[in-house]
Amino acid sequence: MAYRWIEHTAELELEIEAATEEAVFADAVQAFAELVDDDGRAEPVTFELRLDGHDRADLLAQWLDELVYQAEIEALVPDETKRIELSDDGVSATLRCHRAQPRHVIKGATYHRLSFEPAGEGYRATVVLDV
Amino acid sequence: MSEPSIAGYRQVEEVVWELPPTARADMRVPARVFADEELIGKIAADRSLEQLQNVATLPGIADAALAMPDIHQGYGFPVGGVAATEAPDGVISPGGVGYDINCGVRLLALPLTAAELGARSEPLVHEISRRVPVGAGQGGALTLKGAALDRVLEDGPSALLRKHGIGAEEDIEHTESGGRLEGADPAAVSERARARGADQLGTLGSGNHFLELQQVAKVLDPEGAAAFGLRQEQVTVLIHSGSRGFGHQICTDYVRRMDAVQSRYKIVLPDRQLACAPLSSPEGGSYLAAMAAAANFAWGNRAVLAHRVREAVARVLGREAASATRQVYDVAHNVAKLEQHRGRTLCVHRKGATRAFPPGSEEIPGAYRATGQPVFIPGSMGTSSFVLAGRDGAMEQSFGTTCHGAGRQMSRTVARRQISGAELRGRLEAQGIVVRCPSNRGLAEEAPFAYKDVERVVEVVERAGLAVRVAQLVPLGVVKG
Repeated sequence: MAYRWIEHTAELELEIEAATEEAVFADAVQAFAELVDDDGRAEPVTFELRLDGHDRADLLAQWLDELVYQAEIEALVPDETKRIELSDDGVSATLRCHRAQPRHVIKGATYHRLSFEPAGEGYRATVVLDV
Repeated sequence: MSEPSIAGYRQVEEVVWELPPTARADMRVPARVFADEELIGKIAADRSLEQLQNVATLPGIADAALAMPDIHQGYGFPVGGVAATEAPDGVISPGGVGYDINCGVRLLALPLTAAELGARSEPLVHEISRRVPVGAGQGGALTLKGAALDRVLEDGPSALLRKHGIGAEEDIEHTESGGRLEGADPAAVSERARARGADQLGTLGSGNHFLELQQVAKVLDPEGAAAFGLRQEQVTVLIHSGSRGFGHQICTDYVRRMDAVQSRYKIVLPDRQLACAPLSSPEGGSYLAAMAAAANFAWGNRAVLAHRVREAVARVLGREAASATRQVYDVAHNVAKLEQHRGRTLCVHRKGATRAFPPGSEEIPGAYRATGQPVFIPGSMGTSSFVLAGRDGAMEQSFGTTCHGAGRQMSRTVARRQISGAELRGRLEAQGIVVRCPSNRGLAEEAPFAYKDVERVVEVVERAGLAVRVAQLVPLGVVKG
């Protein structure tokens, strides 16, 4: 697992490096949880999601937007990616989550400087988040 | 001797800097910045000038990509940027409006002076804070669903007046575009946007959104101030908020939708956040309809916030004071509008920029027509805000546009390292400013020194002839998320 947050003047950038494409998505879940979790453990929830996108970067932005939406509307905080399957134009996954009082620090993922590329023996992705 | 130059931008007039379109192969028009020598230096410290060049590549952009003196780096488009694209085949870009569609400012004038208000400023700020939910993702003020929400999306504040008794006819007259953009279509809005926005009318939000109790510290243009109904020491309330999660979701939905069709329209962009489509395309038309719905929602949001302020005034100062609390005006600073400029129909994207039409414009309410359109420039928390009036120079140079605020110059983390929320709260209270903010962290992130100097910004737009200063407002109290 390797992600880091880079803060600019008025934005927050998430940079992920991982061995596989699937691991990039799983790391994004962990990074998001770190930012919004209130440390309150409550009712466990299994969340299934399926997204379509025209490239990996687009899918990753949508993935983060889905987490933001579920946190804001359903009060879900993700704990772990239990299953993830990537196809040419989509992702389907099962996340273990808990219902809590997530901190609303992220409003959404942007397409500004969005990237998802092979790097070395793995992949590197960056997403700028609206905060 | 050659003209001064910063990052390739040459000083072509006293407060105008320009980069020619030959600077980069993909630029279609020049990039032009309104700034003095000090501000252009600060602007060059982030990537906003490069972002302005990116805006200059948009298909159908007219004349120049423009930046106001409060420009700073944004997502794709810089904040403080103006891009006019020519209909029908020029593009519309959701990123050129921004996530907070129709973020804007409403100013209310109370029928008393700060001296007359006296020690009641604290209970008034407290009462307002009790009635106005704050914070990101926070709802709970007025929940509207189904047809009731559709009416606000289609008609803005007039639907709230008609169906809920919120606001007054004069408020609507004193709102940019009458608080209603034509062509709003609820069918162009996703269910997700509706879910996020359903309970957010009358909520302030987080970040740099705030509600301030103020007094008129200086009248700078007595005739203009008299026309706007403002006098020395008068108490005012400034409301700075937008379309909340509703508008954010619409921007998200349409950036994605347009990103997916760039190749269909043979559009090549230097940043995916600039994703756009021709105004005449199905995607362009659909975004215009959804954006108008979000703009009307935002005007509705500020109408409910103003209603809550009047309720607080009634409780603390009496019903007479509440009914005599009048809306000076309400301006948008994140929106795209179809306007006529020099015989052309242009889609003027203003992202962190405010319409500033000059005296005589039919778009201005009759009472203000001889003065120019009112513009409100909020400073950072605890500093001055300004009331301006639009001038002819804006029509000649900036598609009828001026600046919108101070502009961030320091990251949130750096601001928190420099001062704690508790310390800042103490400093503001020592200046006699009442503070109601549930988050010390959020308070510290919005420390005044994290923003550019708003006085310098408004001085530049006045020197450029875009707008003239009418009054300076200083805070008595602040409510924020």
